[in-house]
Order: sequence, then C-alpha cells, then structure tokens
Amino acid sequence: MSENTTPSAAPAANVAEPIGAPPSPLRETWDYFRKNRGAYVGLMVIAFILFLALTAQWIAPFDPIAQDRTAFLKPPVWMEGGDPRYLLGTDAVGRDILSRLIHGAQLSVSIGVFVVILSMISGICLGMVAGYFRGWVEVCIMRLMDIMLALPSLIMALAIVAILGPGLENAMLAIAIVQLPHYVRLTRASVVSELNKEYVIASQIAGAGHMRQMFVNILPNCMAPLIVQGTLGISSAILDAAALGFLGLGAQPPLPEWGTMLSEAREFVGSAWWVITFPGLCILVTVLAFNLMGDGLRDALDPKMKR
Amino acid sequence: MALLEVKNLTVEFGSEDKPFRAVDSVSYSVDRGEVLGIVGESGSGKSVSSLAVMGLIDFPGRVTADALTFDGQDLLGMPAKRRREITGKDIAMIFQDPMSALNPCFTVEAQIMEALKVHEGGTKKQRRERTLELLNQVGIPDPKSRMTAYPHQLSGGMSQRIVIAMAIACKPRLLIADEPTTALDVTIQAQIIDLLLKLQEDSDMGLILITHDLALVSEAANRIQVMYAGQLFESGPADSIFAAPRHPYTQALLEALPERSEGHDRLRTIPGVVPGQYDRPTGCLLAPRCRYANESCITARPEVRDFNGRDVRCFYPLNDQGQPTGLTADMATGENV
Amino acid sequence: MLGFLFRRLGDIIPTFFGVTLLVFFLIRLIPGDPILMMAGERGVDAARYAELQAQYGFDQPIIVQYFDYLMGVFQGDLGKSFVTKKPVIEEFLTLFPATVELSIMGILFAVILGVPLGVLAAIHRGKWIDHLTMSVSLTGYSMPIFWWALLLIMFFSTTLGWTPVSGRLSVLYYIQPTTGFMLIDTLISDEKGAFISALRHMILPTVALGTIPMAVIARMTRSSMLEVLGEEYIRVARAKGLAPIRVIMVHALRNALIPVITVIGLQVGVLLAGAILTETIFSWPGIGKWIIEAMNRRDYPTIQGGILMIAFLVMGVNLIVDLLYGIVNPRIRHKR
Repeated sequence: MSENTTPSAAPAANVAEPIGAPPSPLRETWDYFRKNRGAYVGLMVIAFILFLALTAQWIAPFDPIAQDRTAFLKPPVWMEGGDPRYLLGTDAVGRDILSRLIHGAQLSVSIGVFVVILSMISGICLGMVAGYFRGWVEVCIMRLMDIMLALPSLIMALAIVAILGPGLENAMLAIAIVQLPHYVRLTRASVVSELNKEYVIASQIAGAGHMRQMFVNILPNCMAPLIVQGTLGISSAILDAAALGFLGLGAQPPLPEWGTMLSEAREFVGSAWWVITFPGLCILVTVLAFNLMGDGLRDALDPKMKR
Repeated sequence: MALLEVKNLTVEFGSEDKPFRAVDSVSYSVDRGEVLGIVGESGSGKSVSSLAVMGLIDFPGRVTADALTFDGQDLLGMPAKRRREITGKDIAMIFQDPMSALNPCFTVEAQIMEALKVHEGGTKKQRRERTLELLNQVGIPDPKSRMTAYPHQLSGGMSQRIVIAMAIACKPRLLIADEPTTALDVTIQAQIIDLLLKLQEDSDMGLILITHDLALVSEAANRIQVMYAGQLFESGPADSIFAAPRHPYTQALLEALPERSEGHDRLRTIPGVVPGQYDRPTGCLLAPRCRYANESCITARPEVRDFNGRDVRCFYPLNDQGQPTGLTADMATGENV
Repeated sequence: MLGFLFRRLGDIIPTFFGVTLLVFFLIRLIPGDPILMMAGERGVDAARYAELQAQYGFDQPIIVQYFDYLMGVFQGDLGKSFVTKKPVIEEFLTLFPATVELSIMGILFAVILGVPLGVLAAIHRGKWIDHLTMSVSLTGYSMPIFWWALLLIMFFSTTLGWTPVSGRLSVLYYIQPTTGFMLIDTLISDEKGAFISALRHMILPTVALGTIPMAVIARMTRSSMLEVLGEEYIRVARAKGLAPIRVIMVHALRNALIPVITVIGLQVGVLLAGAILTETIFSWPGIGKWIIEAMNRRDYPTIQGGILMIAFLVMGVNLIVDLLYGIVNPRIRHKR
C-alpha cells in the first residue's frame, strides 16, 4: 500500500522531501527576521533598553533629580577632573548623567509604547468603521485624516500642545493624535481589501454580527502592516517627544527626559560636551533600534519580499 | 568561417564551489543568411545562452567558452569597450515582451536614434531620416506621427515592430530574437515572424530564433537546436529533425504539438518540469521525465555524440521508427510513464 | 493636463477649508478667555472687555466669527499679533524668505547628496558600499536633528572655529534686504566679504536641516533604482551597446527618479518641521523660530496664522509636485 501511493513521477535520484507540517506563520516570520542582521541587532538593543527602563529604580546609581552641590559639570570618569562616582559626569546642577539617562529610558519607552497603543487603538477603530461601513462615515473620517496630514507632524503636535499647554502628558496626547491618520489609513485600506474576500462573506452568511465581523474576522488579517507601522510609530513618538521636550513644550524639568535634558544643556555647547552628547546618543540609538526592527518586521511580514 | 561560432559555452551562477550551470557546454554556429532555431521549455537556458553572446550576463554570472567568436573576433577576450561596439551594431537582439522593452520615459524616435547615434554618428537630421525609413521598413502605418509617441501609447504589436526597428537600425549581421511573439496576440504573431524573416532575407542576416514553439521553428528555421536544462539535447537540419527526431525529448515535444495529436482525445504532454537549481538529477537530466529511461540513465550522464549525422545527447537515440536503439527488447516498451 | 490640474484642485479645496476650520477652532479650544489672557495680569474692566470683544468679534455667533475669519484669510488678513500688534501676515512675509532660503539649501543638500548615494548603493547592491550608504542613511533617518545641530556646532564652530554659531550674517555687515534671500542680497551688494559670511552662516543649518531628507531620498532612490535596473528596457538599452554609465544615468535614473520626486515633495513638510528646530538652535530669523516664540508668549493670532500659512505652503508644494510628476512621467501627462 505504502509503496503504491508514492507518486511514480518522483525521480529516485531526487532528495527526499522533508515530511512534516510546514513551519507555523509565526515561526516563518521569525526565521526571516533572524536572517536580517540589522533587525536582530535592533531587537537586542531594544531588549537592553527595556531592561534599563524596567530596572531603572535599582540599577541607576543615583536619584535622577538629586543634586550634588559639590560636583557641578563634572566630566566623565575617563577625562581629567572626572569624579569616579559619576561615570558619565554630572550636569550643571550636579545631577548624575548616567542615572538621568537610565531613568530617561524609562520615560522614552513609556512615551513610545503609550502613544502607539493609544493611537493604534483609536486609529484601528476609526479605520475599521470607515472601511467597514463606507458611505458618508468613511468620507468624513478620511477627510479629517487628510486635513491632519496637511500639516507636518511636529507642527501639528505643536499646535495641539499650544491648546493643551506644555507638559509630558499633553505632549504624548498630541503625538498620539498626530500619528492617528497613519493607523486609520492603513486599517481602512486593509479592511476594504479584506471585505470582499470569501471568508468574510461566508461568515456574514453564517450570521456574524458587525462587531464580530470587524474585530474577530477581519482585524486579525489586517494586523501585519499595523504591527510594522506601530514599531516605526514608537520610534517617531520618541523622536517627536524629545523634540517637544527640547523646545520646552514637552516633559518639563527636572524630569530626566532625553530631549528636555538636551534643552537644559544647550548653553554648554561650547564647554561641556558630555551633557550634550550622551542624551542625544541615547535618542539616536533608541530610535535607530526601533527603525531597524520595523524595517526587519516589514521585510519579514511582507509576502512579496519573501523568496 | 561561420558568422557566430560558439564552442562549449557555459554560464554559471551562484558560488564558486557549488555553481548552478544555467548553460552547460553548448556549441553552435550561425552563418550569414541562416536561420537557427533554438527550442526548449522555460528554464532550458536558451535565453541565457543568447544573453551570454550579447555580453549581458552580469557579475555573479560567469561566462566561459572554448570559443565565442563573431566574424573571427574573440568576443570574450576583447575589451568591454570594443565589445560594446559590436553589440547593438553587428549583433542585435529582440526581447520577449515588447511592452516592457521600451523605456517609458522616452519617445520612439529618441530610442531608435540613440542606437544610431552611438554606432553610426551622423547628424541629427540624418538619424531622423533613417529612423523614419526604419519605421517604414518594419511596417508602421503613419510613421511620422509615431516618431514622437511614447511607448504607453502603442499596442503590443506596434511596440514589437518598434523594437525590431531599433534592433535593425545599425544593419546588424546577426539578429537574436528571443521569443519575439510570445507576448503578442495570435493574429499578430505571424505578422511579426513574417517581418523578421523578410528582413533576414533582404539583408542576408544571420538570425537566431529562440522559442518554445516548435511549429513556428519548423517553418522558419534552417537548423534547429533543442535545449533542455542548459544542455544541448539535439541539433540538426530542421526538416530532418521533424521527420525523425533522434532524442526522446524532441520526440515528446513533437508529439505535444496539437497538429500531431490528431486521433487522440487530449494533447500529449511531458509530465514534470525542467529541473531547477536544487533538484538536478545525477544522471541524464531528462531521466525523471523520459519514458525510455532505465538504470544507466539515472546513474550516468550522457555526452553529446554523433548519430546518423546529428548531434544527440542520449544513450539510446531513436531510430527512424521512433524506437530507442541499443536497448534490450523488454526495456523498449516505455513502461516508465 | 489641464483636467489633471482641476482634479487635483478639486481634491485640495475641501482640505483647504478643513485646515481653516481646524486653525479657527484652535483658538476657541484653548481653555480660558482669550481676551483675559491677552490682557494678562493687569486685567480689564467691563467696558474695555466689551470693547475688545467687539473688536475681535468674539460677541458674534461662532459661525459668523468663522465666516469673518475666512473672509479675512481670503483678503490676506490673518489678524494682529497680541504682542507686537502688527499684522500677522506682515510679520510672516518679512521672515518667510529666511526660511525659504534655508529650506531650499536644505533640499538641495539632500538631493545633491541623496540621489547619487542611492544610485551608488543600488549599482553596488550587496557590497560594502551599499551597506555603508544604507547604514549612513538609516542613521540620518533616525537622527534627532536638534542634537545633530548641537553636535555640528560643538565640532565645527566651537572646537574648530570654522563656522559661526548663529544668525544669518556677521554683524560687521549691514545688508538692505531686496530679495530677502541673504545669499542673493549679499551677492548683489557692494559689501566685500558679505557673501562669504552669509555662506558660512548657511552651512551648518543646511546640513542639519538636510540630513533627514537626504537619508530618505537616498533610501528611496536606491530601492527605486533597484526596481528599474531589473526592468527589461534596461537590458534592451545595454543590448544597444550603450556605455554602462549612459544606461544608468539616462535610462535607469530617469525612470527611477519619478517616485523619488514624490518623496522629495513630501520632504517639504519634514523640512518645515525641521526648520522649527533648526532655526531655534541657530537663531535663524525665520518663521520656525517665530512660531516657537509665539508659542512661548501665547501669542495666539500669530500661532494661528503661522500654522495656517505652513499648511497652505505644504498643500501648495504638494500640488506643484503632483504637476511636476505629470511632466516627468509621460504616462500621466497623456492621460485624458
């Protein structure tokens, strides 16, 4: 029996096909992701930053806002005049830069994650409604998004902060609003293309309600581009939040937000390189890591790029 | 001396230690005024071999040959600049899909005049006149108004005529046509082939006609070259190949022609596909698909040899009755398919 | 082509009204009474309050107020600054050339560097030069430009002393603005050395502003170029016996640049956002710095007017880019 059922066309000289289930989609994506060296490095860096953010309270050597009046603008240890207690030196009011950077990681990561979650959830809902119900609802929502996109994101965020007033929470809200159109557009586009597929029609015939159709049947099939956009959204949220902080409209001193730290350090551009270099480097590395991961995810999730 | 002489041309891709041979020791020659048909399924290496002749194989690909000469000049040994002077002037090529062969950003006239400018020089006026002449020659109606058209404004058949005009602009002595009609409507196909053959006859060009359409080659070509998985399987004069194929693959190809399937319920097919990079059989490349294959076909790879005046790569070439020779009787029944 | 223009205009008009509506409500959404805020700590008595309310039209129904505002916008009236009491449009027009000059230099920097880098990476795909270019590009793309600007100042101005730290021109020179573009004004003026000074002031802000667009353009050029290089017509061009440089620069680049032009157009928004940061850091007297100062002073008419003008600008440039796209891409030009 077993002899007869093997396809006779299969040549004897051929290498035997590995028998077994094909790799799960998650596994397959991970394998593609792993092969992308940049994305992998990005993921490692993000893991490290996450670790710093989660353990900031315990691993930071000092309180980020405690001032040491005996150590203003101390250079990093390896420089002449460095204080061994302050590895990366101190700022103008004697705060330990390393501790502030570690706590800054906490702030930046939570800004990125919070902004993206808020923006993504509302964006998915709006985009889903627009794509699912079509008609005038869609026209209204998409027009509004077009208007929001007419303004450069940072300027839009500035306008919103101008209304709400400066501060970290308002800055986060502003950035979340600014990012909204991207998620709305992505969701709507995927929903519209999914809507006519057989499986959606089939479950409609089976009597699935609107909510079930939207969030149980359609949404999971639209997630891939949203995940990519979300990852890239984290990096732009961190960047925009830092820019707002730098302009004095985001996190307010003494919060150790990286952009705010840079803003406070601006006057020392000619005298104390370390107060300027390190916070910016942290922003760059974090943003770069999320961008690398986003690119890697896009390549791994995009079926067109595979093979 | 033949116009184009190709001896043991090999094109490899991939790493040095585990190369993939897209073309494996293929030899042929084309004389002026001669039409050579190269036939094979997709993936048989027929396009790659002609790209190698044109010098269009890019870096990761490696081209080697015992001889690759055009009009006595060694194409592989000459400097790149000298070779480009021959490419496009003395040897020209027509590609499969006319719709994508024209640059969408430039007018018809600009694209034809470009080849003229590079190889012949002359004034702009002369080039424009020559272009008009060429468009007339390839049968474009109202050529004057087509000169300034952009490719997206032309139909497929029209585009292919432009592509042909572009190729014959510098009066090449050898024209390679790579599936020139595959992408066209059936009604246009015959027109284009007729045009090509007329041009070939008028200017006594050598023509290499690459196709998977045996019927087309049977009418057009003087000699035929059957390729499979990068290897030459059979070559010889067109009419004798059609009368009596010596290679089982040629035989199978001929049987797959609709006109030869009369009396059968269905068209005959050849089961399976051309082996790719990773699934090459160790023995004869056709062995998995060959109805006559036996143990020795699976273990050893045949060489090209002379059989009744034809080059055949098979251990058991067919006789005039279409039966394999050199086999013991019980093996000749073809139980494998 | 004309039909295409009208179609695009038809798309823009609703957005135009939307933006005016958005900006109009911006000021109404602010918690607190704008007149009390304008008056500041001194406060106003009831009579003066009513007078000011009438003056700014706050006593009218909201729809009338919007209509008045819209009419004003059409006539170029964006209100008066709370702080300087000058018309917002006037201030905008005075400062605008400085931003335009900086943005043009920035985009020039980005294109002149970005396109060749992208082409280079594409034709050396997978080799070290490709990896290097794309690493640089990704870094540039992730760069916080306010930090990048500070680093540039730290290195080139304070350490090496090559370039000035801020401003558009050395105080040694006084140039009467004619075009508003410092590079042109200094060039046509009699002051010797003024042009060099203007150029030196220009370098760092240009680099800071142009870095992100440069990175984006390089990436886009590379991927677009890679796609085009795989096209059949490239092979045909090579089969004509053309030199590789001609195939790449004429046949491939011309096609590859079509999507890049759209990307360049999209960078205008990035540039204007970047101008806010760059101008603040380099004390560049343009509209970016102006808006930030207005925000710090809560000068709402200025914020409102500035944002509106930026939105118009972005919309206008996008329109121009669309038209340009039609010109370089024959497939669109001939669509009827």
